[in-house]
Amino acid sequence: MTRLSAHGLSAEVRRGWDGEIYLRTPETSVATGSSAPNQANATGSTMVAYPVLQLANFALPSQRGDFGGGAVELMGAHNLFVSLFEYGPESVGTALFAPQGTPWPLSPDAFGPNRLQRPLPGQGGAQRFFSRAGRPFCLYVVLGSYLLRRATLRQLNHALQTVTIT
Amino acid sequence: MMVLVVLLGVVVALLAVLVVGLLRTHAEILRRLHELGAGVYDDSAPAGPVALSAPGAAPLRTQPGVAEPRTSETSAFDLSGTTPDGATAVIGVVDRPHTTLLAFLSSGCTTCRGFWDAFADGEANELPGLDTHLVVVTKGPQNESMSKVAELARDRVRTVMSSQAWADYGVPVSPYFVLADGRTGRVLGEGSGTTWAQVAGLLEQACADAGLDPAGGRRTRALGPNGPAREQRADEELARAGIGPGHPSLYGQTTLDDQGPDDLIEPVEPVVNGSDGADAG
Repeated sequence: MTRLSAHGLSAEVRRGWDGEIYLRTPETSVATGSSAPNQANATGSTMVAYPVLQLANFALPSQRGDFGGGAVELMGAHNLFVSLFEYGPESVGTALFAPQGTPWPLSPDAFGPNRLQRPLPGQGGAQRFFSRAGRPFCLYVVLGSYLLRRATLRQLNHALQTVTIT
Repeated sequence: MMVLVVLLGVVVALLAVLVVGLLRTHAEILRRLHELGAGVYDDSAPAGPVALSAPGAAPLRTQPGVAEPRTSETSAFDLSGTTPDGATAVIGVVDRPHTTLLAFLSSGCTTCRGFWDAFADGEANELPGLDTHLVVVTKGPQNESMSKVAELARDRVRTVMSSQAWADYGVPVSPYFVLADGRTGRVLGEGSGTTWAQVAGLLEQACADAGLDPAGGRRTRALGPNGPAREQRADEELARAGIGPGHPSLYGQTTLDDQGPDDLIEPVEPVVNGSDGADAG
């Protein structure tokens, strides 16, 4: 395994998996105090970039979206894709992010074929919002086959157990 | 008597010239053989395979000054490093159902520039091997300019900056290419070249030597097995069968033993912060 660590996120990447932690495109925010890097733009408002952690047991393409657009279309039946997406601190304390602590392990009933932002035939997805260490996150998971989700979940939860947020 | 001595002297002189000529020719032959790695005193020296050698390939030696690939079979390694846009990345190479072509390039070498341009122009969209994926590997940010690499990579090819990968694969020089088989975790072939066409030809040879069908396993990245063309063809076939968007059979609910009604009606949870929602998955 290889340890992937950046921006207060880390995960063990198993042999043959792809993993990446990057800062998504900065957005204007009035929030301060985040552990994420901030940049001041020309107008004086704060441009904040928050990290995204992605894991996949298949080869991720060079160009893809934060939630796997461009990658999930390449998935086979036994493939899975994980995106751990951090929101700005203005989301802390809202009802959506009220659950405290990481939501894994995930159970089979967490997934549904209609829980994908863009349903693709045969795939299943799950989405969980939560807060951890004062940081609001969305965990978004896509399974290559909804019908085979029980077999894929073991790999998924094993990978999620290695994810840490500090 | 005097005439006989003179004649004998002339004959001896001619023979001496002939022997010297033969010795010179023999020395030249030995020198050439030595350069080719087949000299009479080369038995103890390692036989260096030529560029992109494969196990079983004829042992040859590269020209003086050109690095020789390893002589023993080599393991493949996953890649760990930084992307040109600053992300921390791990890219799997082993335990994969496909082959991976690792292109070890640098931003400074003139020969590498041709490969950067070839990849950016899509010349490497078709790769020999088993659904071969291309990954460009440069040295880490401590040895390379991230902005220069980002400019050369142009987002079309997965690129990782990792000095560790150069050390793991024992890369002697750039440009250098390694074809790794994810199923076996072994390197199928490796070496260098000056043009993409040359390297592509050597790759096909390495694939053939490894028992892979270069043409049959060819992968088109632009229109891959899951590309738009295939999606459109599948949509057309489904439409002919009367199956359109939202058709229940697409979700297989009649065959799921543990799926409750909520699974089919539960909406996707709301997305906050405007465009922060899932984009396409």
